[in-house]
Amino acid sequence: MANDKSSMQLITRGILSENPIFKLALSMCPAVGISTTVMNGFMLGIAVLFVQVFSSVTISTFKNVIHPRIRIPTYTLTIATWVTVIDLVLAAYLPEAYAKMGIFVKLIVAFAIITMRLEMFACKEPVKDSFWDGLGMGLGFMIGMMVIGFVRELLGSGAIFGFDVLGFKPLLFFILPSAGFFVVGLMMAFFNWIEVYYKRSKGLK
Amino acid sequence: MKNIITIVIRLTVSCLLAASIMGLCFIFTSNAKKHNEHVQEQRVIYDLLGYKNGAKIPDSLALHEVYRYVISGGDRQSIGYLVPQGHGKGFFFVNIDLNGGLLASKTVALGDTEALDPKTRDKAIEQAAGPGYTVKFADQTIVVTNNGKRIAYLLGGKFQGFKTFVNVMLAVDPEFTILGLAVLEHEEDPGLGAEIVQDYFKNQFKGKAFEALKTIEVVKAPIPTEYLEALNGRVSEEASGKLREQYKDKAIYALTGATISSKAVAEGVKGIVTKFAYRLNVLDKILQEQQLAVSF
Repeated sequence: MANDKSSMQLITRGILSENPIFKLALSMCPAVGISTTVMNGFMLGIAVLFVQVFSSVTISTFKNVIHPRIRIPTYTLTIATWVTVIDLVLAAYLPEAYAKMGIFVKLIVAFAIITMRLEMFACKEPVKDSFWDGLGMGLGFMIGMMVIGFVRELLGSGAIFGFDVLGFKPLLFFILPSAGFFVVGLMMAFFNWIEVYYKRSKGLK
Repeated sequence: MKNIITIVIRLTVSCLLAASIMGLCFIFTSNAKKHNEHVQEQRVIYDLLGYKNGAKIPDSLALHEVYRYVISGGDRQSIGYLVPQGHGKGFFFVNIDLNGGLLASKTVALGDTEALDPKTRDKAIEQAAGPGYTVKFADQTIVVTNNGKRIAYLLGGKFQGFKTFVNVMLAVDPEFTILGLAVLEHEEDPGLGAEIVQDYFKNQFKGKAFEALKTIEVVKAPIPTEYLEALNGRVSEEASGKLREQYKDKAIYALTGATISSKAVAEGVKGIVTKFAYRLNVLDKILQEQQLAVSF
């Protein structure tokens, strides 16, 4: 299938109009569970970015030999392989980064966003476009996680990137998983409101 | 039917492909990974002993690993220790019953690197324990000596935290006063229980005397500002030593919103040290009675 979108458009689509967390509402479990600090969000985002790009490219390359009946197992297998490879390589050659990212990398196998992008995009489109789409979606996820992490870290522990900025802890509640839902929900509403406002001001429907 | 066969074949091929990629990756990275784990462990050990950030480690300092095994079989249960005779000289195997009486002691010819590998070590212990007994690795302790004099013990241990297990390493001096606590692995809640890894919590254990530790308690109160600064390492070594002396018999200040995690760590540390103190007394007595020339 031909794709009429440029690489830049594919990237911005992943970050803005089809942001995995705020628009597609996928992979909410990690968004709620792990995004307690900006750094956690960033680490998980980087890991997802790599797995998403590698898996998208792999599936796109082999799309013609994948039997349509067994495409989902194949996706899972691909993702699991890349997660394992990244996990092993990180543990072996970047032990410092692995000490911080290790627990996140293993979680990625079950992420809905990656399987969904393979199903919706990579299995139909050329390799080049799949690469850009994967990059855009990964970046969108990373930015989303960091934004949520920013709010929760600031309100929950009064810090940003681990540096104490407020000097006190405003609301311990924001660290807890349940607060993740509130933050995600409020931000979703906020971004939708901006979009509606923007479209109205431009006279679009 | 044809469909099924193609599906089976394709799925098998993709599984084999994935497996070989993962296998190759594992083969290429396993050595580097093991090396990293070893380096990390060494770093934790020297950090606990006070040689932080690559400070020079004196040559007279030596680490001696003592392995503890639970040996069961027939109608009895006993504790077996693998005690080093010195580098490259092999080990003693000391089998002690639950009342502290000696059952058997013999020499075990095992190289230093062989002892590090759990597989060969388990096998050697099995042979030493004799037929009909099953052996199970319990824990390992590192005795640190400086010029042949014992200066510290490093104790590994695991205990129940708020959610799952907390894996720690402790350094205690020969009087069982705590020299330091390192949290190796845990799954406590970020921002709450996970704060156990922070200096201002774990450094509270530093300097706690054995007698105080036996009855240690956790209080829900804010840490006094002066003490907090010292725990975070923001004051000079001299001043923090003075404060440590002042607080050495005091209770542990609980983490805000994580009293259970704080209590779990305090209880866990207490358990590890008191059990170790008892076991070491038993082992030392036996070693002395039998005139076994161990390396520490």
